[in-house]
Amino acid sequence: MTSLALAWRGMTRQPARSALAVVGIAAVGALLFDMLLLSRGLVVSFGEILESSGYDIRVTPTAAIPGAGPPLENVSSILSDLERLPELDEIVAMRFGRGVARADGSGDVVLSLMGIGPGGAGSWSIVEGEPLGTVGEDGRLPIVINRSVAELVGLEPGDSLELAGYRRDTLAPPPKTFRVDGIAEFVFDRWNELTAVTSLAAYGETLGEPDHDQADLILAETRDGLATDEAVTAITRLRPELHAFSNEALLARLRQTDFSYFRQISFALTTITLFFAFLLVATLLTVSVNQRFAEIATLRALGFPRRRVVAGLLWESALLVGSGGLLALPAGWLLALRLDAILRAMPDIPERLHFFVFQPRALVEYAVLIGVTGVLAALYPVYLAARLPIARTLRNEVVG
Amino acid sequence: MVRLVNALLTLVLAICATTPAEPAATPEILASRQLVERRGWSVGDVVRLSADPNGGESREFRLVGVFEPTPDPMKLAQKRYEVRLHLPDLLAMTRGANDPSRAEPIDALVVALKDPSGSASFARDVSTRFPGVAAEPSAPSLADAGPFVVLERFHLAISLVTVLGSTAFLLALMVMRAEERRETAGILRLLGLTRGRILRGVLVEGLLVAVAGALFGVLFAYVTQGIFNAFFQWHYDTALVFVRVTPGIALRCVAVAIPLGVLAGIVASWTLLRREIPALIGR
Repeated sequence: MTSLALAWRGMTRQPARSALAVVGIAAVGALLFDMLLLSRGLVVSFGEILESSGYDIRVTPTAAIPGAGPPLENVSSILSDLERLPELDEIVAMRFGRGVARADGSGDVVLSLMGIGPGGAGSWSIVEGEPLGTVGEDGRLPIVINRSVAELVGLEPGDSLELAGYRRDTLAPPPKTFRVDGIAEFVFDRWNELTAVTSLAAYGETLGEPDHDQADLILAETRDGLATDEAVTAITRLRPELHAFSNEALLARLRQTDFSYFRQISFALTTITLFFAFLLVATLLTVSVNQRFAEIATLRALGFPRRRVVAGLLWESALLVGSGGLLALPAGWLLALRLDAILRAMPDIPERLHFFVFQPRALVEYAVLIGVTGVLAALYPVYLAARLPIARTLRNEVVG
Repeated sequence: MVRLVNALLTLVLAICATTPAEPAATPEILASRQLVERRGWSVGDVVRLSADPNGGESREFRLVGVFEPTPDPMKLAQKRYEVRLHLPDLLAMTRGANDPSRAEPIDALVVALKDPSGSASFARDVSTRFPGVAAEPSAPSLADAGPFVVLERFHLAISLVTVLGSTAFLLALMVMRAEERRETAGILRLLGLTRGRILRGVLVEGLLVAVAGALFGVLFAYVTQGIFNAFFQWHYDTALVFVRVTPGIALRCVAVAIPLGVLAGIVASWTLLRREIPALIGR
C-alpha cells in the first residue's frame, strides 16, 4: 500500500471528522484568500481607474493629492513650457469645482463641475451623444454630464442647461446657458454623484473668474516609446517648483497612506487565519496520531518503514489542506463579492473602485501560504509517529 | 462672541523666533498636536500664518493651546496639521480687502438644539425656509452608511466566517473526543446509565468547557486590545481607538460561543450514543 493510499484510508475511515476538518480549513482558507485579494485590491483597482484616463503623469503645485491642495498659478506659462518637452505627447489642464443646476421640479441641484483644456479627453467615456464641443453659434457653452444629472434634471443631448458656479467665498455669478453635448460615465464618480465637465474657458466664466490663469491639475501623456519616469524627470528639471508624478508614484504613495488601513487589516487577518489553519490541522493530526498509536506501532512491527509512516501523515495533511484549500477558492470568491459590496458602501468611494481584486499573484501566494502551513502543521504529529517506540507502544496499547 | 472655526486650510506656515509680543495685539490660535510636534512649537510661541501658498501677506498669531484633532477614520492616513482661528481673524486673512462681496463668508453654522431628537425635522425646516442652504443633522441616522457603520458591517461579516471555521474545528475535535470515549460510553450503558443521563453529563461538561473558552477569549481580547490600539495609534499618529472590548461585545461573544460549544458537544456525543451497546464496546 502506498503512503497516499494509507492517508486516504485514514481519512475515509472517519468521514465525519475529515469532512468537518475540510469545512474548517475551507472557511479559514476562504478568509485567507480574501485577505490576499484585499491586500492589493485597492491599489490594483485604483491603478486601473488611473490608467483608464489615458494620462500617465500628473502635475500639481504641492505634494498634496490632486485637487486637495492649492491651484497651480500662471498655468499658460507652465503649459507653454511643458509643450516644448519632447518627452510629452499630450498635455491638458483641469479645474475642479461645483456648480448649481436649475432642475424643474426638484429645485437647485449642486453638482461636481470640471473644466478641461482644449483637446483634453479626461477620465470619462461618452455613452450617449457627442464629446465635449465648443461654444455654439447661439452662445450656449458646451457641457458633458453624467447619467445621474441627466435623469435628475431630465436632460438629453442637445438640451439646454442653466448652470451657475458655486462659490463659498463670494456671491455666485449669474447662471450661464449650457448645451448638453453628451452623457458620459466618469471613472471617479461616486455612487449617485452628479458630475459635469465643460471647457476650461466655460468653467472660468461660470465660476466668475475668466481671467484666473489657474488649474488644479495638469495631466500629461508620455510620448510613445519613452518611459514615464524620463518624462517626470524632464518636467521636474524644467520646472523644479512643480510636483510631477507618475501613476505608479501616486499609487505607491496611496499604498503608504490612504490605502494602508486595509493593507494593515489584511496583514493582521492573514496572520491570524494562517495561525488558525495551522492550529486546526496540527491539532487534528496530532489527536489522530494519538488515537492511532497502536495501528502505527503494528504497521512498524510488520515492517512498514518509518519514512512511509511519515509520508502517510504528510499526505494526510496534504489531502486535508488541499481539499479544504480548493473548496476555499470558490467560497472565498463569493465571500469577497459580499465583502466588497459592504465596503463599497463607504462614503466618497468611486463607484468603479473595488477593494477585492483577483490577481494570479494572490492565487500563487495563497497556494504557497496554505501549503507551507499544512507542512508545518504536520511536523509535530510526524515527529510523534516517527519517534514512536514500537515494543512499548504495542505492550501499552495492544497487550495492556 | 468668540467663535472658533475648525478649518483645515492649506496654509503656508512660517515660524518665527519665540520672541514675546504684545499679548493684546497678537491674535490667538490653537494648533493640532501633530502640527506642534512637527514644527517644534510651544504654547506661547508667536507664529506666522498665510493663506497664500507662497507665504505672502502672512500674519502673526500667538499659540495659546494644543488640541487633539477629533479622530476621523476618513482622515486616518492624513497628517492632521490643523490650526483653529477666531472667525474674524480667519476672514481677515482669507478675504480680499477690497471685495465688498466677500463680507463674512462662512462654510457652516453649527446649531445646538434644546431637544436634539428634533434635529431631522429642524434640518428639513431650515432647508425649506432658506433655499440654497443645506441643513443636516450632525449625527448620521442609523440608515446612513457612514464609515464606522460600513467598517462594523465588514468586521461582522469576517467574524461570521471565523465563527463558521471555528465551529467546524470544534465539531471535528468533539467528534474525535467522543470517539475516544466510545468504550467508556459503552461500559456506562452496560452499567445501566441511560442515553439521556450520559448526554446530560456531556451537556454539563460541554457547558463548562464552553464557558471557560468564551471567558478566556474575552479576557484575551480585553488584555490584547491595548497592544492593537497602541500599534495602530502609533502607526497612524491618531487618537482613534481601533479595538474596544465593550460589555455589549463581550456578552455577544459569550452568547454565541457558549451555545455553539454546548451544541457541538451534544451533536458529537449523540452520533456516538445513538449506537447500540455492542457497537460501542466493539462486540
